[in-house]
Amino acid sequence: MDLAFKDFQRHPGKFAATTVGVGLLIAIVLTMNGIYRGNIHDGVWLIDHTDCDLWVVERGRGGPFNEPSRIPQETWKRIAAVPGVLRASPYIVYTVQRELGGRSQQFTVVGYDLFGGLGGPGQLEAGRALESPRFEMVADRKLGLAVGDLVRLAVHDFTVVGVTRGAVDSGGNPLVYLSLPDAQEVLYQEDNRALELKRSASLRALEAASLPSTDTERLLPLLDSGAVTVSAVLARVEPGADLAEVQRHVTRWLYLDSYTTEQERDLMLRGRLLRMSAILGLFRALLLVVSIVVISLLVYILTMEKIRSIATLKLIGAPNRIIVRLILEQSLFLTVASFVAGYALISVTQERFPRTLVLLSSDTGTTFLVLLAGGIVASLAGIVHSLRTPPSVALGG
Amino acid sequence: MTEALRVSGLSKVYGEGALAVHALADVDLSVAAGELVALLGPSGSGKSTLLFCISLILEPTAGKIAMFGEPIHGGGRTVVDVRRFRRENIGFVFQHQNLIPFLSARDNVAIVLELAGGRARAARHRALDLLEELGVGHRAHDLPANLSGGEQQRVAIARALANSPRLVLADEPTAALDTERGQVAMEMLRRISRERGAAVVTVTHDERMISGFDSVYRLHDGRLRSGA
Repeated sequence: MDLAFKDFQRHPGKFAATTVGVGLLIAIVLTMNGIYRGNIHDGVWLIDHTDCDLWVVERGRGGPFNEPSRIPQETWKRIAAVPGVLRASPYIVYTVQRELGGRSQQFTVVGYDLFGGLGGPGQLEAGRALESPRFEMVADRKLGLAVGDLVRLAVHDFTVVGVTRGAVDSGGNPLVYLSLPDAQEVLYQEDNRALELKRSASLRALEAASLPSTDTERLLPLLDSGAVTVSAVLARVEPGADLAEVQRHVTRWLYLDSYTTEQERDLMLRGRLLRMSAILGLFRALLLVVSIVVISLLVYILTMEKIRSIATLKLIGAPNRIIVRLILEQSLFLTVASFVAGYALISVTQERFPRTLVLLSSDTGTTFLVLLAGGIVASLAGIVHSLRTPPSVALGG
Repeated sequence: MTEALRVSGLSKVYGEGALAVHALADVDLSVAAGELVALLGPSGSGKSTLLFCISLILEPTAGKIAMFGEPIHGGGRTVVDVRRFRRENIGFVFQHQNLIPFLSARDNVAIVLELAGGRARAARHRALDLLEELGVGHRAHDLPANLSGGEQQRVAIARALANSPRLVLADEPTAALDTERGQVAMEMLRRISRERGAAVVTVTHDERMISGFDSVYRLHDGRLRSGA
């Protein structure tokens, strides 16, 4: 006779409520696993999905993701001329908060050179890549846009021509790909009042230098134009070229810094992601411990509820294995059923979660095994207590 | 007549030195097979301690216990596998029935048979027969919480009889019942000893319930004496 099963049959509501409650807790543990992995996944997604060998940035900067890097746009020509470099292309990346699809959304704009350049979107879920150098965009589906939608950015309307899936920046914000000039315009667009103020400030500076008015008129447009900058230059090296040698050349002769994809990844993992990963890892461990404690307490309470029945079983001659089996089965059932409930919940809601959740089967399996082991260890307290309970308890002694 | 139980010079002392409490002092008791015995006594007289010792729950400080001619306890140690011995030879009827609340009436009886190695199906059939015999067959699938006190006690008696024990120990079996139901429970114990030939030792404080008992013993301050 399976006593544990009989007890479940007798109290289906109690066990269902307990399973759902613990299942919710386990769902949170699995969510935290997913956030932890998702944080790393998002953090390096753009680096992993940008097709280049080298990221050339401003000297002394850990850019372009960990800190801002600004280099003149024309730098790409100097990089392209470095021995061993096959191709080089300007690249700009920045995060904005704009009205999109009827709501304010934060997203990251990636601007790249369309014509043979590097840094464009990879695989698309729908539509096509950018073909026109102006007023087209590829957006991630997270933004709620579809192919053919018109989106207002700065002073222009952009047509969504392609949609990506899972294209995110290191903070999990969805990406929008624009042509380099469009991306620069969106970034540097100033309204008329701002331009007026800037112009009058330049004029005052020239007048203070006591320049003749003819020179002032000639110099003013030059001062206001400013240098067009980008965040980085992406480079692809020739097959068989020595990447380290190319990097040394860039550093020594062009006075810039460069990172390989692996170095850029490492920079991200050791920099921006490190603390967040540590915090998430800590929460993940704490939640796991809390889950095990909760399961332990529940198993212990379930055992204590039955202590008189257990004493009766002992008195009528039940061997210890029957009592151990009763407690262990309930503990294992509670752990397994709660895990299944939690996993089902997180599987259903994963797509709707506001951040990327990466549920690795290895993480899920490990969490299950840890919970299972915790449940077994937890039931030991109940087992020890039961085995120590004298049969006289059944007689009121 | 075969001797079912023999207790010789049984003593039980709780605590040590000045704090020692002599719960049982040199108790001798002999119960024959098929004999119906009542142990009477006020609270604190040692009834429960004697029952615990006979039930092999409590180890006596001194003395011997033998059942069906087999030494069970002597020289300060128990010489049998206690749970197996209980399972195969002793049936228990408790004051508060102590039915397992998550098992139906039938399963509460069948579990004893399954513990003794019986097959599940056969155990369920036998349990049903016993419940029919005690007049509660119609409640076989009900949980204890849905049974009246009297019905619960009948199920408890059926459980005590399930493994055809040679000795039935009953601890205040009528304490939780009204007089009428108490009389019915006692009549069942009488039937058990008469029809099944099992020795029945009943601990009770209610003298109204012991009519028809073969022997009555009184316990006072841990000492046993015979007489109604």
